[in-house]
Amino acid sequence: MKRLWIGTMALTLMSVFAVAQSLDDLNIQIHGYATQGFLYSSQNNVLTTNSSDGSPAWTEAVVNISAHPIPKLRVGAQVRYFLLGNLGNAITLDWAQAEYKVNNRFGVRFGKVKTPTGLFNEIQDIDSSYMWSLLPQGIYPIVSRNSLLSHTGGVVYGTLKLGTSGGELDYRAFGGERELAADDGYFIGLRESGIAFPNGVNGAVLGGTLKWNTPVNGLMVGASDLRDTLWSATMTDANSITVPGLGTLSGPFNGTYMLQPLDVPFYFGRYEKNKVSITGEWARLPFSGTLNVVVPALVPFGIPYLQTPFRADQRAWYGMASYKVTSKMQFGMYHSQSVNHQAVLGPSRYSKDWVLSARYDMNEFVYAKAEQHFLDGTEIGYDANANPGGINPSTRLTILKLGVSF
Amino acid sequence: MKRILWTSMLASISLLCSLQGMAQIALIANPGVKASSMSKKDVADVFTGRSTVLPGGSQVAPVLLKSGAVHEAFLLEFIGKSDATYRQLWRSLVFSGQADMPKSLDSDSAVVGFVAHTPGSIGYIGASSPHEGVKVLAIK
Repeated sequence: MKRLWIGTMALTLMSVFAVAQSLDDLNIQIHGYATQGFLYSSQNNVLTTNSSDGSPAWTEAVVNISAHPIPKLRVGAQVRYFLLGNLGNAITLDWAQAEYKVNNRFGVRFGKVKTPTGLFNEIQDIDSSYMWSLLPQGIYPIVSRNSLLSHTGGVVYGTLKLGTSGGELDYRAFGGERELAADDGYFIGLRESGIAFPNGVNGAVLGGTLKWNTPVNGLMVGASDLRDTLWSATMTDANSITVPGLGTLSGPFNGTYMLQPLDVPFYFGRYEKNKVSITGEWARLPFSGTLNVVVPALVPFGIPYLQTPFRADQRAWYGMASYKVTSKMQFGMYHSQSVNHQAVLGPSRYSKDWVLSARYDMNEFVYAKAEQHFLDGTEIGYDANANPGGINPSTRLTILKLGVSF
Repeated sequence: MKRILWTSMLASISLLCSLQGMAQIALIANPGVKASSMSKKDVADVFTGRSTVLPGGSQVAPVLLKSGAVHEAFLLEFIGKSDATYRQLWRSLVFSGQADMPKSLDSDSAVVGFVAHTPGSIGYIGASSPHEGVKVLAIK
């Protein structure tokens, strides 16, 4: 599937360049940005960094190129270098797409495209486009960001006017294939317990988003839905297994990871007027599946595999507000909560975060951010390897960031 | 009664300031653009990337001024955002693959020159700036 899309993209690009009379005809643009973050935390190390000692291991750099050879056709690609603690440290393809916009009511993008869900998914990796250093992690987990941002397939989009007094409706519908890479942040806990996915996990995805720009100036409300079909992947389990009568059987063992079809709804709203912006969002991620490990010694006994079920039901929300003090200075705060309703009671079941934030735009190209998090609960953002002494239930996290874009 | 008079005065001053702002700015387009007027909503949609087609079917692309009083007045009157916030909005579109960054030019004369020679382009200049070779769009 991926090869088909990449092949189609390549053909489109070649035909575009063949038709163009000169580089000017292509209207080529190159843009980029880079950010450097610094994290300091009390109590725990966060996001796979050594933040309790102060960590600068948060760097991103992006370059994109686009061409606009005819008015309705645009092609482009964007690559990214991402490092956060033990995550990333690689150059990946953000998106590579061809887009044809018929008119304001209908357009289509295909290739590797951003997935339009929720309020922030398409832009959560574009640090320069919002004031926060870290978005609410219950809905936009940075450790899994690369996998959630995009899919290979297509998006259809447009804006529909709802009469003279009904406002406008922005719609997005998407479908294709999504991949969680083998080193994705979702699998940190599993990897640390000896389970790995050599080829990542992928499967079909589809969904849509509606945003109603209401007749009330500045007020937008919307909803998204994302559906994954049945996903499966090969896995390895490095753990030993003790079987009565057979003793301890050493791994690694091969097996299959099965993720049942899931449905992820988002509901959100935003009000912006003059210097004030107020935003809220709620999302639910329920999932279940099985880890099926083949133990060759047990097969003759009629046990084709050992099955371990897993289940989670994460419900998260946030409310945020910001105020533009001057043309260059913004202050804001948000509160977010995330609870896994299938987890055992205790701090690992939830994450609650109070956040104070500031952004200063020095000029058109350079900006700085400062943010303070007051975290309770350890559902999100902690891993055992980075906290060998155990994970404390509360953390205070300070973030400083510098960004430049062109 | 006094409250009514006071409110009316404030409303009039506000309207006058709004008209004053619009009077400072001329919206210009390449002569090939079919439209002869635009609503404030249409202007905002084009200059925030929400719209690339005007009523009448002309495909358009916005051109900006980099800075200055005319640029600030345009943002205040039509976009309702500061320059920093406005550029954040465009970056979110460019880096998510949804739009190209509009061209930013240093002066009214540079904008006029670009718009005059670039089909589909639409920009803004000071109302008193020379604008040979482009058409001025009325704001309705």
